Amino acid sequence: MKLLIVEDDATTGSYIARGLREEGHAVDLVDNGREGLIAATSTAYDVVVLDRMLPEVDGFTILKTLRGAGFTTPVLLLTALSEVEDRIEGLQAGADDYLAKPFAFGELSARVAALARRPQALEAETVLRAGDLEMNLITRKVTRSGVEIDLLPREFALLEHFLRRKGRVQTRTMLLESVWDIGFDPGTNVVETHVSRLRAKVDKPFERALIETVRGSGYRIVA
Amino acid sequence: MTGRLRQIWRSMPLRLAILLVALFATVSLLSLAASYAVTQSSFEQTIRADLRQDLAGFRAAPTARAVALLVEAESRAADPNRFILSYIAPDGRIYGNGAIARDDKGFHIFSLNPDRAEFDGEYLSLTEALYGGVITVARSRVEIVALRDVFVNILFISLLPTVVIALSGGLVLARRSKRHVEVVSTALDEMTSGDLAARVEIGPRWSDDLVRIGGKLNQMAAAQEGQIRALRGVTSDIAHDLKTPLQRVALYVQDLQDRVKDNAQAVELTARLEGEVGNMTRVFQALLQLAQVEAGSPKARFEEVDLAQVCRHVVEVFEESAEASGHSLALDLDVESAVLQGDRALLGQMVSNLIENALRHTPAGTAVTVRLGLHGQTAQLQVVDTGSGIPVAERQKVLQRLYRLDRSRKTPGHGLGLSLVEAVATLHGARLVLEDNNPGLRVIVTFVT
Repeated sequence: MKLLIVEDDATTGSYIARGLREEGHAVDLVDNGREGLIAATSTAYDVVVLDRMLPEVDGFTILKTLRGAGFTTPVLLLTALSEVEDRIEGLQAGADDYLAKPFAFGELSARVAALARRPQALEAETVLRAGDLEMNLITRKVTRSGVEIDLLPREFALLEHFLRRKGRVQTRTMLLESVWDIGFDPGTNVVETHVSRLRAKVDKPFERALIETVRGSGYRIVA
Repeated sequence: MTGRLRQIWRSMPLRLAILLVALFATVSLLSLAASYAVTQSSFEQTIRADLRQDLAGFRAAPTARAVALLVEAESRAADPNRFILSYIAPDGRIYGNGAIARDDKGFHIFSLNPDRAEFDGEYLSLTEALYGGVITVARSRVEIVALRDVFVNILFISLLPTVVIALSGGLVLARRSKRHVEVVSTALDEMTSGDLAARVEIGPRWSDDLVRIGGKLNQMAAAQEGQIRALRGVTSDIAHDLKTPLQRVALYVQDLQDRVKDNAQAVELTARLEGEVGNMTRVFQALLQLAQVEAGSPKARFEEVDLAQVCRHVVEVFEESAEASGHSLALDLDVESAVLQGDRALLGQMVSNLIENALRHTPAGTAVTVRLGLHGQTAQLQVVDTGSGIPVAERQKVLQRLYRLDRSRKTPGHGLGLSLVEAVATLHGARLVLEDNNPGLRVIVTFVT
């Protein structure tokens, strides 16, 4: 993927760039808003990672200018103020996702991947598959190797979330946001508990584990 | 409606008007009464003088016979309703147009016609012995009686319109001043609920003192707005200045973790480092969020929120961790839904902080209950535990930011959870009370729905 990072802090910027390059992406890094705007409008990027506070032209202005000019490139907004107010402002200005500093690299990488492969329109799939695991969205039946697996509603939602994002890492906060609809950290292990219960039902009785832990980042379902 | 009436009744202009009207009415009544009394007595004196003159005229007659004839003649011309005269001659015969009789009810005057009808009305009379007989003259007080009606009329014609006009004037003024005061009070409400841009819109017809008060209020609001904006600027600058180094530390630690994978001790140290960075970040974010909620600005994002739904949701999220720590977490909803205007995320965080607080500071085996009930116009959220509670002296202090009970120093947490609960409650106009649950702590948040 081709990524643009607009980040004025050189240390943070270069770490992110290095990490993303190690994951195999082509990364352009600029450290001010002016260059960021020029780069974003002159090159086709898959995702733009944009810092909210930048010298010369701030992240918000860049975002609004891009959207005003009709650029639909997915934008992940990084910000120092992590709070709801900024989050809403950012989303209203046209950001596709939002990440508060300080963040772990795994979180950033997972969210960038999620943005790049965001489906343009939701496909009307009725059966989701991963290996020998099948989830029928109409009958709400889950089977693996033909064996029916009984899931509680929240476990079903969690598995559906993983299956719709096959192979992509889902972090704890991403899961809290999408599966539990909670935008703050409740300080519980609700995600871990559900993942381990899901594993007990979906993976444990079978030979190959489908749900994988990505250290320091989150979980994903193996394609 | 009655509330509005009471408000008008208690307004200053109406009260002034009523006071003035009462004063005016009292003075008018007193002066009318005085002039009535004076006029009445002068009328009576005139009548008495007339009566004395009448008698003097009869006294001029030389004999009883002459008096009797004179009385006969005059009584024929006199209207008995106004003037009555009678002479009881020495031989017992009565001349004139009326006679005075007396019974236990007082004096009566009768006609001397064969019908002997009693004359109605009030008379003043004078009686005198004359030539062995008795002469009586009486004049009607009808003018004086009429005078009373005249005065009553004067009273109604002059006083009543004055009272009505003054009162309705007062009412109009009261309503106008109520409108003006309402403009001021609405602006104040907006200011206190966090709308920094709220100002009193001073009308062109306002009285000087209101204009002055409004102007001062606007000055105050502008100064406050400036200060808060400056404060927010500082907060966001600090956030930026501190978060960048924090971000770098977080990335360095991650890098370090990748490089020291083979050294068990280093792995443990870096894991602790990561944990500490995480704690710092959480305290920092909690402080920033608290500052934002206390500034009141998120009110613009209020929407209809079902508090019952929020409780169900948050309790579900905590079920496993409560179970894991040996607590029993129960949800006790009296109502299917309790809809109020609020910020869904903040309300969720409030319930979450309360549950987290209860789970963290009570030993295993403690029951924690989230309760929601409607009481009239209010929705009451309670988070109740059966732990060791908070001593009375400490209950207000635990709401202060970063305050922690001595015995809680060793449990994790940053002492901001309850401060945020209080800030969210205040933002929603709700009342937060900490009570003894005998044993344990009962946190009650009362919302107006």
